[in-house]
Amino acid sequence: MLLEKDNIARCTRSTKIRLRADEQQKYDKELQELFHWVDELSKVDTSAVPESSLAYAAYLRPDEPIMNEALADTLVGAFNEQEGHCAKVKKVL
Amino acid sequence: MKTVLEIAQAVQTGTLTARQAVEESLKVIAEKNPQINAFVEVWDKEALARADELDARRSRGEKLGPLAGVPVGIKDNILYKGHKATCCSKMLENYVAPYNSTVVEKLLAADAVIIGRTNMDEFAMGSSNQTSVYGPVHNPVDVTRVPGGSSGGSAAAVAAGMVPAALGTDTGGSVRQPASFCGIVGIKPGYGRISRYGIVAFSSGADQVGVLTSDVSGAAKMLEVLCGRDNNDSTSLEDKVPAFSKEFTADIKGLKVGMPKGFLDNLDEEIKTKILAAADKLKSLGAKLVEVEVPRAKYSAPCYYIITSAEASSNLARFDGIRYGYSDKTATNLEDYYQLSRAPFGPEVKKRIIIGATALKAENYAECYLQALKVRELIRQDFAKAFEKVDVILTPTSPTTAFTLGAHEDNPLAVYLADLYTCQGNIGGLAGISVPCGKDKLGLPVGLQFYGPILQEEKILNAAYHFEKAL
Repeated sequence: MLLEKDNIARCTRSTKIRLRADEQQKYDKELQELFHWVDELSKVDTSAVPESSLAYAAYLRPDEPIMNEALADTLVGAFNEQEGHCAKVKKVL
Repeated sequence: MKTVLEIAQAVQTGTLTARQAVEESLKVIAEKNPQINAFVEVWDKEALARADELDARRSRGEKLGPLAGVPVGIKDNILYKGHKATCCSKMLENYVAPYNSTVVEKLLAADAVIIGRTNMDEFAMGSSNQTSVYGPVHNPVDVTRVPGGSSGGSAAAVAAGMVPAALGTDTGGSVRQPASFCGIVGIKPGYGRISRYGIVAFSSGADQVGVLTSDVSGAAKMLEVLCGRDNNDSTSLEDKVPAFSKEFTADIKGLKVGMPKGFLDNLDEEIKTKILAAADKLKSLGAKLVEVEVPRAKYSAPCYYIITSAEASSNLARFDGIRYGYSDKTATNLEDYYQLSRAPFGPEVKKRIIIGATALKAENYAECYLQALKVRELIRQDFAKAFEKVDVILTPTSPTTAFTLGAHEDNPLAVYLADLYTCQGNIGGLAGISVPCGKDKLGLPVGLQFYGPILQEEKILNAAYHFEKAL
């Protein structure tokens, strides 16, 4: 898989990671090499693998919600200020 | 340093006090840690107080647990309530765990003594323990070399005799590869065997807690304590946990050991020689060597880097300065706030987040991420087919012995390929164990790896136990 620089740059912006110019240059090269290496995977014939088979079928179990009030209390209690079962968080801007 | 079983039995019977065991551990740490850098924090007073508490309980006639008085190090991504857990990252430099991970609860319930937190590659991303904010770990066998990673601190701590056991996590070989580099035992159980509740997530489809010990019996005992279903981790399995330390058979006559076709091609000659000698040793013990085919396992490494990086980019999105992590004080708008708050990530972490985001981007998804998932499925099928013919599969743990600090800095692919043999286990969801099988001409340890079928850890422990005894 050959990725163009602007493809990687667009993906980088979506991660909210700001790169310095020297980092950008280094990563451009390393990521091009990495995705070139990963392109090996395209050689594998996967036509017999349907998307629906990709879950860990053997491990599927019914979804059973588990309530742990004590843990919720502990976590909320770790904040300096609480209101009922809500934690007051700091203002960031 | 005594082994896990020796300490536990001695403390249980009173021939050794827990305080003596902990003092011995602290003494070695004080002597060697300044050079090795295996521990990033040691809770000495607390460990001694706990040891005294255990000794007092024993003197009152109480029966102590299976890890009585055993000093244990925990990797810095494992939560221990009231203690720092930083993932060796500046991003979490002041993070204090608000609750106990399940593995810590289990260690405490078994009467182990947690000594401190061990160094690691930042957020468990690396194979050499050189990306830690606390600086690199030095291999106790040769301090100019890396201990492997990402659980390099845990491996070095055990190899240096600081503790008889340490916990690590293994996403692509991070327990087994450092065990191999440091000449100790490292086991990663199958996916779902040990709860990950309270472990800082890197790649949810591959992360597993593993143990590093000085011998196989100790690994079996630790695993016995740690495995089992946990309601706080929906991926943990319901299946019964065998008493691993009691499952060793009298011999391994008739054990079918799979030798994957082509696995030793292009391998360093010295390592190849050691692995073949190990296979001969197993044969002399009565095992049968059987050639098996795992044709698509060679794609494990690229498959692993795409899948785990994609999962990492998602898991590490929470370090945004609001939910977790460093919070910037200078930003004047939200975009800047996020970007400046995520600046403390180190280069390897940033790179993997970008790789993952790139693989998941709609325009690349099918060709990259989806293809990797499909190849993973084929690799699993290959292993399942191989295990129809054999009990365990034998491979080298790593294609090289420990390399020098700073090597491969300009060639990250070379470091990624160090995971070649180990990441197959994570991709396949298999249990794997690394056990020492000799040294190269420089005196550096070589590791032998056994893979076993899903939920049959006792098979690899048994094979490793007999090999260790015979070596």
